[in-house]
Amino acid sequence: MKISLSWLRRYVDIDVPVEELCDKMVMSGFEVEGIEDLSETMQNVVAARIVRLEKHPDADKLQICTMDIGAEETVQIVTGADNVFEGAIVPAALHDSHLPNGMHIKKGKLRGVPSNGMLCSGEELCLKDSDYPGAEVYGILILNEDIVPGTDMREVLRLNDTVIDFKITANRPDCNSVLGVAREIAVALKTEFRLPAPSYKTVEDDMKNHIDIEVTDYDLCPRYLGRVVKNLRIAPSPDWMKDCLKAAGMRPINNIVDITNFVMLETGQPMHAFDLRDIAGAKIIVRRAKDGEPMTTLDGKDHTLTSDMLVIADAENPSCPAGIMGGLNSEIKEDSQDLFLECAKFRRDSVRRTARALGMRTESSARFEKGVDIHTVEYAMERALQLIDELDAGDVLGGVIDRYESLPAPRVLTVKADSITDLLGVSVPHETMAEILNSLCIETTLEDGVLTCRVPSFRDDVEGRADLAEEVMRIYGYDHIVGTPMTGAVTRGKKLPERIKTDRIKALLCANGLQEITTYSFIGSKAIDLLKLPADDARRQAVVLKNPLGDEYSTMRTQLFTSMLTVMATNFNRKAKAVRLFEVSKLFIPKALPLTEQPIERPALSIGLYGDGESFFTLKGLIEQLFAAFDLTVKYVRSNEPFLHPGRQATVMCGDTAIAVFGELHPDTAEEVGLTTRAYVAQIELPALFEAESKLVLYKPLPRFPAVERDLALLCDAELPAADIEEAIRLGGGKLLESVKLFDVYQGAQIEAGKKSVAYSLWFRSNEGTLSDSDIEPALNKIFKKLEEKGCTLRA
Amino acid sequence: MKQQLEALRVEALAQLDALSSQKEIEDFRIRMLGKKGELTALLRGMGSVPAEERPVIGQMVNELRQLLEEKLETKASVLASEAKNARLAAETIDVTLPGEQRTVGGLHPLNNVLEDLIDIFRSMGFDVVDGPEAETDYYNFEALNVPADHPARDMQDTFYLADNLLLRTQTSAAQIRTMENRKPPIRIICPGRVFRADEVDATHSPVFHQVEGLVVDKGITMCDLKGVLEQFAREIYGPQTKVKFRPSFFPFTEPSVEVDVSCSECGGEGCRVCKGTGWIEILGAGMVHPRVLSGCGIDPEEYSGFAFGIGLDRLTTTRHKISDIRLLFENDVRFLDQF
Repeated sequence: MKISLSWLRRYVDIDVPVEELCDKMVMSGFEVEGIEDLSETMQNVVAARIVRLEKHPDADKLQICTMDIGAEETVQIVTGADNVFEGAIVPAALHDSHLPNGMHIKKGKLRGVPSNGMLCSGEELCLKDSDYPGAEVYGILILNEDIVPGTDMREVLRLNDTVIDFKITANRPDCNSVLGVAREIAVALKTEFRLPAPSYKTVEDDMKNHIDIEVTDYDLCPRYLGRVVKNLRIAPSPDWMKDCLKAAGMRPINNIVDITNFVMLETGQPMHAFDLRDIAGAKIIVRRAKDGEPMTTLDGKDHTLTSDMLVIADAENPSCPAGIMGGLNSEIKEDSQDLFLECAKFRRDSVRRTARALGMRTESSARFEKGVDIHTVEYAMERALQLIDELDAGDVLGGVIDRYESLPAPRVLTVKADSITDLLGVSVPHETMAEILNSLCIETTLEDGVLTCRVPSFRDDVEGRADLAEEVMRIYGYDHIVGTPMTGAVTRGKKLPERIKTDRIKALLCANGLQEITTYSFIGSKAIDLLKLPADDARRQAVVLKNPLGDEYSTMRTQLFTSMLTVMATNFNRKAKAVRLFEVSKLFIPKALPLTEQPIERPALSIGLYGDGESFFTLKGLIEQLFAAFDLTVKYVRSNEPFLHPGRQATVMCGDTAIAVFGELHPDTAEEVGLTTRAYVAQIELPALFEAESKLVLYKPLPRFPAVERDLALLCDAELPAADIEEAIRLGGGKLLESVKLFDVYQGAQIEAGKKSVAYSLWFRSNEGTLSDSDIEPALNKIFKKLEEKGCTLRA
Repeated sequence: MKQQLEALRVEALAQLDALSSQKEIEDFRIRMLGKKGELTALLRGMGSVPAEERPVIGQMVNELRQLLEEKLETKASVLASEAKNARLAAETIDVTLPGEQRTVGGLHPLNNVLEDLIDIFRSMGFDVVDGPEAETDYYNFEALNVPADHPARDMQDTFYLADNLLLRTQTSAAQIRTMENRKPPIRIICPGRVFRADEVDATHSPVFHQVEGLVVDKGITMCDLKGVLEQFAREIYGPQTKVKFRPSFFPFTEPSVEVDVSCSECGGEGCRVCKGTGWIEILGAGMVHPRVLSGCGIDPEEYSGFAFGIGLDRLTTTRHKISDIRLLFENDVRFLDQF
């Protein structure tokens, strides 16, 4: 909320520098979002009289002005304007002056004639006609001839003011008003707050002779107050009022519109003026709209209403949506004679919903949405009538129509002062508590350590002990809060098992040189197409945001591949030679679509590798390590993901459940994503790892006897999986076989087509003694037999 | 015989001095002391020596043999050590050449900072809990004292998944789930991902991260809140760090405060980082609203508590002086490798 100091000073004395004022307000709960010194924008510009005007010897369009700037010596300025004349008072920007449009004026020569500044147009001073009469005329701004030469233009234009932008928190709708902020300033500066006491004269005619008001829906309109003003004398507002409105960011229009805006800003209570002659049947009806009822608002837009919207109607049609914007047919016009003035409280959720449904948001609707005070309705009306009378804008009629069902009694809170101390942890003297609350207009008495507080209706946010504690503390000062170490029962600081296991997984991957990445949880609606999944693939069933920032961020991901591929491609395009990446994040799996309950959030891990030395098997090695770390026994079987290389991909099975898929990226997908190198990706479902029981490691005695090593070179069908050969060796080897390790695979010219050569190292060991050749003979024979069954022959 | 022996001795010692390799040493040993060596030959000629001189000559021969053996050994070890020194000298390398490094991976900077926070708060007895990112309206708003159509909902632009389901806008939702499931004393933090409909720019991201803190017990005061936050701020920003409370508003705490820490860059003098104020805003906090407590079945007359919400992304960017939050989600390895 932007407010000028001069407006605030109408209600409170401010004797401290503006920075100090702002500091104090920040520390009592009113953040300052900006301080604008209006005078800063214009420097060294004065009103000056043209004493003499001469033609420029070398330029037809230029004139040489001798200017009286209120000093002993005159100043010579050359101008190109032709609306100047001798004796005119004009704004002169002197040497080294600054204009609000950003210009910096210095002395110089124009066609050889010295010019010590510049005469200014209204436009150059950023003025409109409403700021100064004639400001929009083409040419130099001609000022009022009464102005004494030498007067600072800031004084002429009343720019010696500062505008402060206060951020008002949602719990303080009362401070969306100049009076509310002034009241808080008075408390912060420990000075007096002067609330204007409205009084005005009325003419001898009762408004009830001219109009009637009916409220049919008190649930949406708890109070509706109307008055009538006749014989309008529409004119520009006085400067002081225009200045206040401009500082607040509102454009002055005429006295009637300006008064309703001024009172809205001053009291926080929106008002609306209707042209009395446009109210059909001389009746205002506050009712719910009928479904499909049409209406045109002040901005010329047509709307179709629904039955949950509140409207202000006359005997025939709805005129405007309540509390949002006036209707086109009943607005105040230049020739309006009489006006009906509305001041009401509309329910905030109703205004909010209607404003959203109609796509409108106004100063008025914003205030109703935040909540206006039912008693301020009356005060604001009185204040508006006072101003109408004061500015002689019309004749106020006697009589009032004030419709409400009931006015709530002030809330009375009874709280032990010590209970406030208990919450704060510092003891504020009880008397000080009472003083602070009273200064905030919360009438408080203290008796036997008990505070009895009458909360004014505009402080609807103060409901109990905690609110009173906050009121006391923000004024007493939060710097009184002193940090203390917590006492109480000792607690442990546990981590969830899932977090502990995730940490282990991450540590293992980091140790293998992988870097963690973090990507958004939502992807584009078409992103999944990159994976070329069939239409019935479950991963295409995704949770979709109802109001995404754009299609790019619209769909909760059901897999991590697309995000990983995007990051890999980004790095590849930025010339990273090799990357090893991983991400741990959640997948969002809908239980049913459309969504009726929270989706399943399943933690998953993705891995992405590319670069020299990377292969299907470097990726598989990582995955093996991962499962080994959790003592999970898994099987690797061929898979058929369309986005992976058809011959270089596998699913990892844990029992009957697929818990991971990995492989080399299909060249088509690689090309599509812009990753034109061999790349390897994996996705691992983490619940399988979380559920694995972590076994305590039990020490196995170190071997006391040496192992016997045998190498086997085998020839077999190229198609025979290595896993089958190893299984055969293990079956045959029995207890003595300690380990098997593949050390060579060969296919090529040296052996017959369709065959491959594989070589294994076998280690045999016994705990009973050193093994001799004859000891391992039976085991080897069994191995040979098992291998023969698989079609393997020993190579010579 | 004596003269022959003496001549051999002089000759042998002279030759021995000139030896310059292990091979020459070996050759010399064979030539002198071998079975067919000169000294052995001399010994064989003992037959021509009168019997009474034989012991003397014999002794001289043995002495010479012993002397030569000793000298040979010394010579051999000198040569060996010279050879070793020569080899070591030849093996000299440029120690300023770069070392060979194994690539070590690393956590994302957000999680690096999070790990620090978890350590700090666990040491103060806070459990680390988790909560769903797709939340119900009840847990994200209603139970946190933000009823439907409340203006406070405007403070956060919410992504909706269905009428009643949304992406959580704050980890505060975890407060409610915790209080429903645990009895006081409660001390938890809930780190997690949150979502708000903010357009992407240098300081805003529709996806970001918070660490929610909650303490509920008998006799918890605002001074306890400040004590915990001071501890946290000093661990993160340095032991001299000061903490300041400013009044603020959150629907689920009362009183509510914004928490500033003294600028670690200038120590509170005022600089570019803190925009001349000497303070940096790091989090929002407050005493748990009595309505939130009672909504979770905790009697606000008996128990009190505080809550705070740390913006992890902002903490990370300010701590590492990262100028643009988008860098955190772009995952350029040249950026990630720096942490």
